[in-house]
Amino acid sequence: MVLSALIWLPILGAVLTALMPSAKGAKATAIATLSAVVGLTLWVSRQFLLTEGGFQFREALDWLPNLGVNYTLGLDGMSLPLVGLNGLICWLLVFAQNASAGRSRLLMVLLLLTCGGVNGAFLATNAMLFVIFYELELIPLYLLIAVWGSAKKEYAATKFLIFTAVSGILILAAVLALGWLSGGEQPVFDYVQLRQQALPLPLQRILLLALLIGFGIKAPLVPLHTWLPDTYVESSSTVAMFLGGVLAKLGSYGILRFAMPLFPEAWAELSPWLALWAGVGILYGAFAAIAQKDIKRMVAYSSIGHMSYILLAAASGTALSLVGAIAQMVSHGLVLALLFYLVGLIEQKTGSRELDVLNGLLNPIRGYPTTSALLILGGMASAGIPGMVGFAAEFLIFQGSFSAYPLPTLMAIAGTGLTAVYFVILLNRTCFGKLDNNLYYPKISGLESIPSLVLAVFIVVLGLQPALLLRWSESTAQSYGSAAFLPPPVIALHPISHD
Amino acid sequence: MIEPILPPSTHEFADIIHRLESGGAMLPDTPENLMQIIGLYKAYAVPMDFYWRDLLYIAEQVFLDPLPAFKYFLPEEYLELPNHYAGDQADLRIWRGGATAHPELRQFMEKGELRRSLPKLAHHLWHDRINMEFAEECMRAMLWHRNMGGQLDAYLDSEEYRHNADRAIRAYFQFNPVMLAFYKIFPDMFLEQCRQSTMTSVLGLFWEIMAPVFFEMSDLYDEGKLTSVPEAMNFLVNGIFAIAGRPIYHRVRIRGTWYDIVPHSKGFTWLYEAAFPYVEAVFYRTSPFRGTKSYNAQAKQIPADQNDFHYGVLYADKFPVGSAGIPPTLLHQDMFHFLPPYLTEYYRQHCRGEDDMLIQLAISFQRSMYCVTSAVIQAGRAALLYPLDDPNPRHRLANRAYFEGQLNRFCRREYGMHQAARLKAIQSQTYR
Amino acid sequence: MPTIVDIAVTNDAFQTLVTAVKVAGLVDALASSGPFTVFAPHDPAFAKLPPGTITSLVQNPPQLARILKFHVVAGRYTRDELRHCSQLTSLEGTSVDLYDDGQTFEVNNATVLAADVMADNGVIHVIDTVILMRPHWFAGIMAAGRTDP
Repeated sequence: MVLSALIWLPILGAVLTALMPSAKGAKATAIATLSAVVGLTLWVSRQFLLTEGGFQFREALDWLPNLGVNYTLGLDGMSLPLVGLNGLICWLLVFAQNASAGRSRLLMVLLLLTCGGVNGAFLATNAMLFVIFYELELIPLYLLIAVWGSAKKEYAATKFLIFTAVSGILILAAVLALGWLSGGEQPVFDYVQLRQQALPLPLQRILLLALLIGFGIKAPLVPLHTWLPDTYVESSSTVAMFLGGVLAKLGSYGILRFAMPLFPEAWAELSPWLALWAGVGILYGAFAAIAQKDIKRMVAYSSIGHMSYILLAAASGTALSLVGAIAQMVSHGLVLALLFYLVGLIEQKTGSRELDVLNGLLNPIRGYPTTSALLILGGMASAGIPGMVGFAAEFLIFQGSFSAYPLPTLMAIAGTGLTAVYFVILLNRTCFGKLDNNLYYPKISGLESIPSLVLAVFIVVLGLQPALLLRWSESTAQSYGSAAFLPPPVIALHPISHD
Repeated sequence: MIEPILPPSTHEFADIIHRLESGGAMLPDTPENLMQIIGLYKAYAVPMDFYWRDLLYIAEQVFLDPLPAFKYFLPEEYLELPNHYAGDQADLRIWRGGATAHPELRQFMEKGELRRSLPKLAHHLWHDRINMEFAEECMRAMLWHRNMGGQLDAYLDSEEYRHNADRAIRAYFQFNPVMLAFYKIFPDMFLEQCRQSTMTSVLGLFWEIMAPVFFEMSDLYDEGKLTSVPEAMNFLVNGIFAIAGRPIYHRVRIRGTWYDIVPHSKGFTWLYEAAFPYVEAVFYRTSPFRGTKSYNAQAKQIPADQNDFHYGVLYADKFPVGSAGIPPTLLHQDMFHFLPPYLTEYYRQHCRGEDDMLIQLAISFQRSMYCVTSAVIQAGRAALLYPLDDPNPRHRLANRAYFEGQLNRFCRREYGMHQAARLKAIQSQTYR
Repeated sequence: MPTIVDIAVTNDAFQTLVTAVKVAGLVDALASSGPFTVFAPHDPAFAKLPPGTITSLVQNPPQLARILKFHVVAGRYTRDELRHCSQLTSLEGTSVDLYDDGQTFEVNNATVLAADVMADNGVIHVIDTVILMRPHWFAGIMAAGRTDP
């Protein structure tokens, strides 16, 4: 029941928020709902068995048994960190809303709906149920982009809608084919059963390709990323945080959950190319980010590069790299949310996000010392500086993938270096230098800094103590890593440091 | 009302030229500007009352002390020293108040910002005091930027000066054979220190006059007798004229005997030997303060010619100034202690309130110094050129050339001077 | 012929000037053989100065003497002799700018009211304004102004 609660509680909360008489009451309801979701996630994590690789807290309800579509839920080491991330980021986003601003109630309702939908996708153990949740969150998201975005929001929202719809159709087609071609009398969509069946290699290839493109659009992976810069930049920073911090993870989650384990032979065959694809994506994202003049666009491109690390990890398929991949999803979510939040704050206060306009924001008296310091921290975390969560994740990925694919891993490492390049550009231009004294930028209140401070605390704590993040997924990763395919040896995770 | 008889100016700052021609200041005449500048004059005058006393003390008594650790510990004698332009015994009474140290200054020296009577040394080390560092920085600017008009500059290099200095130095180190030996080996070094001491005296004598002028302006404003920026400026112009001929000198007291280094009889005057060089050195030029900004001299960001220096208050970027130990910041800190209540309340309502009051007051200070500079420009016009209502068009053209020549100093493109100058910024109230 | 000092003392229009010269202790000098060219401000010229200026100068004779010396040039120069001369160096050391377009004869910012009053030891030009030393940067400022005077 607890997993259902994680899905339906936010949706119920959305209804209540919509019905609340006062704006303040609406925000309080939304906060209370999400606090309950976060609390529930914490409770679940207390009960979670670290040694169990498979699904826990399973729930099953017959829905359309003839079609194989059932309401089955389960939680494992791959979904738990993501559910936690989703709850945390949604909580922070709602917290940051100004209750009295126009239409903030609608925004919170849509956020709650999406939050429930995303949890549904993470928790579904029925492939069709996953697709349904995956498609459902599209509608509130379209509205989130189209209503709150900036000048070109309609264009961006439509572009997002088209790309995501294509992604959905491909995934739907692949899942339908998977279910119907399983050979039984009735279609099979149950994840556990799907993993046990063996499909002929040619079929595997086609279906894998469809899924890869489908999830590749969502993640996104180069060259399927073209919707992303427009969507991220045109969206309000709240929506951009949600898109980058949480939504993108649906794509990478899909790859790790479905594409990789369901077609082991085809995956093994394709994985050298996938690794190379990841390497190219990382470098592309970094170079594109270096070329940007708009700090939000720069952060958006950085996101493209960093999502490709997950593909690299999946291609290597070692238990170690998979733990890294899951950690990277969380790390990327935290860091990107922090960066988008800060960039949004700076834009809101200064009215600009141009590198050539912003300067000297670190000025202690008239600038934004806290915000700038957190931006520096975010940049360092994104560049994988040790002591922050990005380092733990990326290090595990490289450690796990180097033996399998040395060249793409080196490309990825170079990409990490380039990340530092564009963040140094960003920080040097915006935070350092001379604050223009013909302008006055209004103050950022302590309250406005809280979401970024909370994210920063997570980034640093998980960076100093990565075990807090990694321990959930180790057993699950073992089961996936070993089942995946043969070549790379599984590296024992305990202890992490070999002597 | 002055009738214009010339065609309108085509200068970049034509509006300001016309304002100057009709008897106005570079600073627009608004009640808000008036309140800011007068409040700042008052806040400036109290520490200035300390500056001039201490500068004279340093010039007259500390002199060439090789370890002047206590030069900022002003003896009672100098706090009691009567100002020549205030009090009942004044040569020319400019301020109606008393001639000895200002009561607010005394009160501050007693307890400081900490509001606690601690030993003087504790207040000093905690920087809870009047920061003489700023005053000395101004003095060094005047010493370092030479040839700014007046005859004192040439006199410092004359044989007569050398002789006077030599006599004082020998007397000062009479019982100190080590220093005397050093003097034998490095006479020029001691001479240069003596010149610095002379400049300290010059600045002290200059500020001795400015403090009562500013106090009187503040009192007049409080009484409702000073109601516009041009009135404030004209008060300054009249003040400048009244005291233009005040003597500038340097004398040292060594064991009870006065030694003249720059004697009264040289005829050096306040206007030519102190005021003009002061405005040029401090308002326009000064030097790039360490810590305010990084400069690259190789990239020619620093002018090769000292005449092109433009780091004074009229060009100052008040944002980066605000770090510990930077002389202008120390001045702002000093003024902060003596802000009139109406200004404190005003700053609280703007920008970041308490958090950036130092910057807000620094920008008001910049406005007030544009007003002082306007007064100097108008005084120069009145002394050296023609009345504003002169019927002769040739005379009016000369006045205009003078105003345009003055404002051109804020328009020069070299080294980005036109961007550094705050003349344009102070025209509107959004700059604060 | 009388000396410069004699002429000034006997003329009612120069009472302030005479007082000033006495206070500054320049009587003997101006009565000496010279010769001098004196630009002599009459009483209304001193009256144009803001209050206090004279007071503080009278309190300080050396400073007063310096201002007065600025009004004196060594040598005897009549208006005709100065027609093609644009600058003279005063006894004070700073130069004095001259302007003569045939109708008006000006010295710095003062207009000569009566030229060529001859004395035994020089010549007097009566001016309507007390002239003050122009610092060396003044010429640069005027040159930088785009309108030619």
